[in-house]
Amino acid sequence: MPASEMAVEVSGLTKSFGTVHALRGLDLTVPTGEVTGFLGPNGSGKSTTIRILLGLLRADGGRATVLGGDPWVDAVRLHRSIAYVPGDVTLWPNLTGGEAIDILARLSGPLDPARKAAMLERFELDPTKKARTYSKGNRQKVALVAALASDAELLLLDEPTSGLDPLMEAAFTESIREVKAAGRSVLLSSHIFAEVEKLADRVTIIREGVTVESGTITELRHLTRSQLTVVLPRGADGLARVPGVHDLQSADGHVTFAVDDAALPGVLAEVARLEPISIVANPPSLEELFLRHYGDELAALTNGGQK
Amino acid sequence: MTATLTAPTAAPVRAGAPADALAGIGTMVRLVVRRNRVRLGVWVVVLVGMLAYVASYYQEIFPTQASLDDFAALSDTPGIRALTGLSPAADTLGGAVWTKSWMTIALSLAIGVAFLVVRNGRADEEAGRTELLRSRMLGVHAYGVASWLVNGALCVVVGLGVAFVSASGGLDPDGAGVAGSLVLGASVTGVGLVGLGIGAVAGQVTTTSRGANALASGVIVGCYVLRMIGDLGDGTLTWASPIGWGQEMQPFGANRVWPLALLVLLAAGLLGVAAALEARRDLGAGLVPERAGRPGAPERYTAPLGLGLRLQRGPVIGWSVTVVLCGLLFGSIIEAMNELIADAEAGPAQDFLRGSGVDALLAMLASMIGLVTAVFATQSAVSLRADEASGIIEPQLAGALSRRRWAWQRLAIPIVGSAALLALGGTILGAVHGSLTDDASAVGTLAGAALAYWPAVMVLVGVAVALFGWLPRLAIPLTWGFMAAMWFATMLGEVFGLPQWLLDGLPFSAVPYVPAEPMAWTPLLLLTLVAAGLAWSGVERFARRDVQPG
Repeated sequence: MPASEMAVEVSGLTKSFGTVHALRGLDLTVPTGEVTGFLGPNGSGKSTTIRILLGLLRADGGRATVLGGDPWVDAVRLHRSIAYVPGDVTLWPNLTGGEAIDILARLSGPLDPARKAAMLERFELDPTKKARTYSKGNRQKVALVAALASDAELLLLDEPTSGLDPLMEAAFTESIREVKAAGRSVLLSSHIFAEVEKLADRVTIIREGVTVESGTITELRHLTRSQLTVVLPRGADGLARVPGVHDLQSADGHVTFAVDDAALPGVLAEVARLEPISIVANPPSLEELFLRHYGDELAALTNGGQK
Repeated sequence: MTATLTAPTAAPVRAGAPADALAGIGTMVRLVVRRNRVRLGVWVVVLVGMLAYVASYYQEIFPTQASLDDFAALSDTPGIRALTGLSPAADTLGGAVWTKSWMTIALSLAIGVAFLVVRNGRADEEAGRTELLRSRMLGVHAYGVASWLVNGALCVVVGLGVAFVSASGGLDPDGAGVAGSLVLGASVTGVGLVGLGIGAVAGQVTTTSRGANALASGVIVGCYVLRMIGDLGDGTLTWASPIGWGQEMQPFGANRVWPLALLVLLAAGLLGVAAALEARRDLGAGLVPERAGRPGAPERYTAPLGLGLRLQRGPVIGWSVTVVLCGLLFGSIIEAMNELIADAEAGPAQDFLRGSGVDALLAMLASMIGLVTAVFATQSAVSLRADEASGIIEPQLAGALSRRRWAWQRLAIPIVGSAALLALGGTILGAVHGSLTDDASAVGTLAGAALAYWPAVMVLVGVAVALFGWLPRLAIPLTWGFMAAMWFATMLGEVFGLPQWLLDGLPFSAVPYVPAEPMAWTPLLLLTLVAAGLAWSGVERFARRDVQPG
C-alpha cells in the first residue's frame, strides 16, 4: 500500500526514559479509513507510542509518520486533523465541562454546535457543571465529546472508555462506527478486548515496547484456536488424539474442545464421522490471543502465588 | 442516639457524642505527623535558627551599650515601625533582636501553620482522601482535631525553641532572669495559634484549598496591616490586631503575659467556630455552594492567552486589589508620619535610609510594591510548569497549537500584568501622597519609581521560565525558593551579614532607589536583557524537549 493510504506508519520506534526502555523497536500501522486496535498490558508502551504520535515526546530512534508528516516537526499542522482522548482526563477544575469541550475542540478548528449538542445528548453529559464536580466517567465523556464532535481525520484514543458505564460504552461503539463510515481513521488502545474485537479491522499487540502480533482480525484468528462444542450421542472416540485438538472435555455426550484453526478441516472431518447432532463454534476472542502471548507472565504470577 | 431517632419532634440530629466525634484520633495524629514530618521539622529549624542567627550576629556587632544606643536611634524610623514594629526596649540586645526578627518569625509561623492546617484539612477533602478515611471508623472531627493538635504542638515547640535560644544566647538584660525570653517564646506561640485558628475556619468556608489558603493569608496580612497603621499612629489599631497583641507582650520591656490569654482565647474561639461548621456541613461542601456555569466557552478562550486570563482571573483580581490597597495605605500613612519623619531627619537615620526621610520612605514603599508584584509574576510564571505537571497541557498541545505560542501567550500575563500592577500601585501611591501634600508631580515620580522594578520582576519570571525549560521537575520548588531567597535577602540581607557582592547581584538591588536616588537606565536595560535571555532559552528548550507530566 502506498504511504498516502496509511494514516499512521511506525517502524522500529525506540524511546527510553533514563534507564527504562519504554519502546524497543515498535512497528504499527493504521490504514486510512480503518479502526486499528492497539493492545498491550499496563506499562507495555501504548501511551508512550500515542504521545510520540502526538509530538509530545520525541522518539529516540525509528520512524514515525502521521498523516504523511513527522509528528515531532509538523505537530501543529498535523494536529488540525487529529483528535486525542487520553485515558486519564485532567480538566480545569474551575471551568465547566461545556467550556472545556469548546476549548479543546476549537484548538483543532471550528466546532459545529449541532454536533456538540448531539454528542452531549448521546453521552448524557451536563455541560454546565464545573469539572471539579465531575466523576472520572464524566471527565472521560468531556474528552470524548470534544474528540467526536470534531472533523478530525485521525482519532488517537488511549483507553477511551475507562470509567464509562456499559450504556455509554454502547454510545461510544456507535460513535466509532460513524467515524469509520465517514472514512476517518482511528487508533484505539484498549484493555477491553471485546470492544476492540467489535470495532477494529486490524489489531497490533505489543509487549514490553515491542510489537508481538499484528494483522487483521481474520489473519490473527489463524494463529488462534476456535472453541467447539459438539453433541456426540455415540461418544467422542479417539477425537482427543486427532492432531490440532486441545483440552477436550466430555460430559453426557456434550464434548468441548479447542482446535488450532489451521487444523480445522481434518478435525471437522473426524467430527462428521462421529455423527454429531449439534455443533457450536465460537471464534477465538482476543482475550485468548492475549493470554497466549502473556501466558508465561501469567504462569509466573500463578506459581508465585502458590509459593 | 436511639432516643433521638425515635423522637419525632427531636431537634436536628447532632453529630454524636464527643467521644464518637473524635474516634480514631490517635491514628490520625500519627498520620498527620508522618505526612508532615519534614515540613514540621523545617519550620522549627528555620524559625528557631533565624532567631539564633540574628542573636549571635547582633551580639558580635553590638558589643557595648553605646553601640546598642546608636542602633536604637537608627532603628527609630517610620519604615521600621511600619514593617517590623519597634521594640520599646530597643536599646537592649534583646530589643534589637526583637525588632529585627520577631515580626518575620511570628508572621511566618502564623501563615505556615494556616497553610499546614489547610493542607491536612480542605486539601485532603478536595482530593477525596478524607472521604476514604471517613468511610472507616473515624469521627467527624477526628482528622481535623488531630491536625490542630499537631500544628498546635508545632507552635509550642517553636515558642519553646525561641525561648531556649533567647535565654541561652543571653538576650535578657543582666539581672532580669529569663522572663523576657519566656515572654518572647510565648508571644510567637500565641500568634502561631491564632494562625492555626484562622486556617481552620478558612478551610471550612471555601471548597478549595487554594481558596482557603488565599482567605487565610488575606486575613493574616489584614491583621499585619492593622497593626502597621496602629504602630504608625497612636497605637489604638495595634490592639485591634492579634499580631499587635503579640507585639504588645513587649518581651525584654514590659514583659506582659496577659495578652497571651487574648491570643489563646481567640484561637480557641476560631477552632470552636471551625468545629461547629464542620459538624453541620456535608463532606466536600463549603459555605459557598457550587453554581452552574456556562454550557460553552467564548471564542477568546481558544487562544492560550484568553484561557490563561480566565484561569488566572482570581489571582489577577486578587493581586490588583492587593496592590491598590497597598498604594492607598502607603500613600495615606506617609502623611500621618510627618512628625516621625521630621524627628528622623535630624538624626543619623538620614544616612541609614539613603536620603531624606520622605524620599527614602517613598522609595522603600515603591520597592514593597515591587516585591508584591514579584509574587504575582512568579505565581503566574510557574503555572506553565504546573499545567505540564498536571497533564492538562497535553490535550491542548494535541490541538493545532505550537508549544512556543502556548508558552509566550501564557507568559504575556506575568509580563504585561506586572507592568500594569506596578504602574497601578505606583500611581495610586503617588496620587494619594500627592493629594495630601499638594504635589501633582508625585504621581509620575512614584509610578516611575514602581515601574523601575519591572525589569527586576522580569528577571524572576525569566528564572522561572528557564527552570521550566531546563529542569522541569524541580522548576516549581526552585523558582519559589529563589523568590523566597530574594525577599529574604532584600529585607534582611544586610542584617544577616551576607556578602555585599551577593546583595548587589540580586535583581532588586540593581534597581535605582527612586525617588531617593536618580533614575538610572543602564541597570534596567541590563536586567531586561538578562530576563529576555532567560525566558527565551527556557521556551526554546521547552519546545525541544519531551512533555513531562509530574
